[in-house]
Amino acid sequence: MSSISELYDVSWEEMRDKLRKWREENYRNSEQIVDVGEELINEHASKLGDDIWIIYEQVMIAALDCSRDDLAWSCLQELKRQFPDSHRVKRLAGMRLEALERYEDANKLYDSILQDDPTNTAARKRKISILRAQGKSSEAIRELNEYLEQFVGDQEAWHELSELYINEHDYAKAAFCLEELMMTNPHNHLYCEQYAEVKYTQGGLENLELARKYFAQALKLNNRNMRALFGLYMSASHIAASPKVSAKVKKDNVKYAAWATSQISRAYQMAGRGKKENKCSVKAVEEMLESMQITMS
Amino acid sequence: MTQRSLRTASRASIGCARVKMASSFWKGVVGVGLFALAHAAFSAAQHRSYMRLTEKENETLPIDIVLQTLLAFVITCYGIVHISGEFKDMDASSELKNKTFDTLRNHPSFYLFNHRGRVLFRAPEQEPSTPSAQALPSNPLRLRKLENYH
Repeated sequence: MSSISELYDVSWEEMRDKLRKWREENYRNSEQIVDVGEELINEHASKLGDDIWIIYEQVMIAALDCSRDDLAWSCLQELKRQFPDSHRVKRLAGMRLEALERYEDANKLYDSILQDDPTNTAARKRKISILRAQGKSSEAIRELNEYLEQFVGDQEAWHELSELYINEHDYAKAAFCLEELMMTNPHNHLYCEQYAEVKYTQGGLENLELARKYFAQALKLNNRNMRALFGLYMSASHIAASPKVSAKVKKDNVKYAAWATSQISRAYQMAGRGKKENKCSVKAVEEMLESMQITMS
Repeated sequence: MTQRSLRTASRASIGCARVKMASSFWKGVVGVGLFALAHAAFSAAQHRSYMRLTEKENETLPIDIVLQTLLAFVITCYGIVHISGEFKDMDASSELKNKTFDTLRNHPSFYLFNHRGRVLFRAPEQEPSTPSAQALPSNPLRLRKLENYH
């Protein structure tokens, strides 16, 4: 099998930079990370210098995703050899045990880390993940809440908690978690949009109005967010179709929905410019929008 | 996706060599500017000691030293701006325009490994050649080899 560098004509520096980009932006494309990382480790280990340790960590986690236990074990051995007493490496060993479904052994390992260092956040988060992997969502939620009482600024944990609540259909608490995230990241359109979606799911007139407002906010932050555009259309249509609203509110929302429709059609037309199926896809979008009209039940 | 992304990376490497040459030019500019600044400072110190020797304390610094200082400062600043790399947009939300939920949803500290990747990517194991007498494997998701069922 030919190597990545031959297939795509890239040098080892580009492979290393690509791995860094994937690491910094939280990409979970584990197959590609394993392919690229394995070749970097095997062929170019000497040129990487000190970068190699973080690449070992990244490749090990990706290997666990791809069921490449041999590769994960060898990366772990290298890291253990270099950093014999490190808590970070112990955590990786625990992750490997979790992947092999040896949850009690993993729990013992994390408890030993926490005994040495009670403020180690990584071990606490892994214990919560073990609870989640075993399907004990309510305990996981409780532990995560306790963790967040101590470490209020941990954005990853807030987002994880919101995801847990959504899985449990507890939308009010999920909305609370997303509000925390929106407060600390006011210019991130994705949190606005996810909050609006949760409010839309909760239903009821006030939640729909709130959802419409936050979809609009997400669009203000990023006018290319198609999900927010569709969300604006749906929430405005829902409000306009509801029997409890006054005529003025109904008229306003019909206007918003019409605006959203025109923006959606325009976006699809711009996207399909120059492609020959443009006419068919634009027609399909119009038909879809018509079929999404809310009918009174 | 690797294909496209790695190919753009290889094209970037050719541009990278050109950028490296350009950045050493700007490094030279910064060096020249700093040297000129040091030279102006040294001349000003010399001028001061000359004034003290000839007891003409009322004469101001000659204009060419002042001009040299200012010019060297401007050149150094301009060179540093070119070395210092890409400027970020002032608008805080603009660099988030391309972010999607694909990456935002991933929490590396909370990754779970009990997903179907554990089974999907597993190397196919050798199964014994008596398929009918074989009991169902304990893991119902295990992929079976099709030739055992001919």
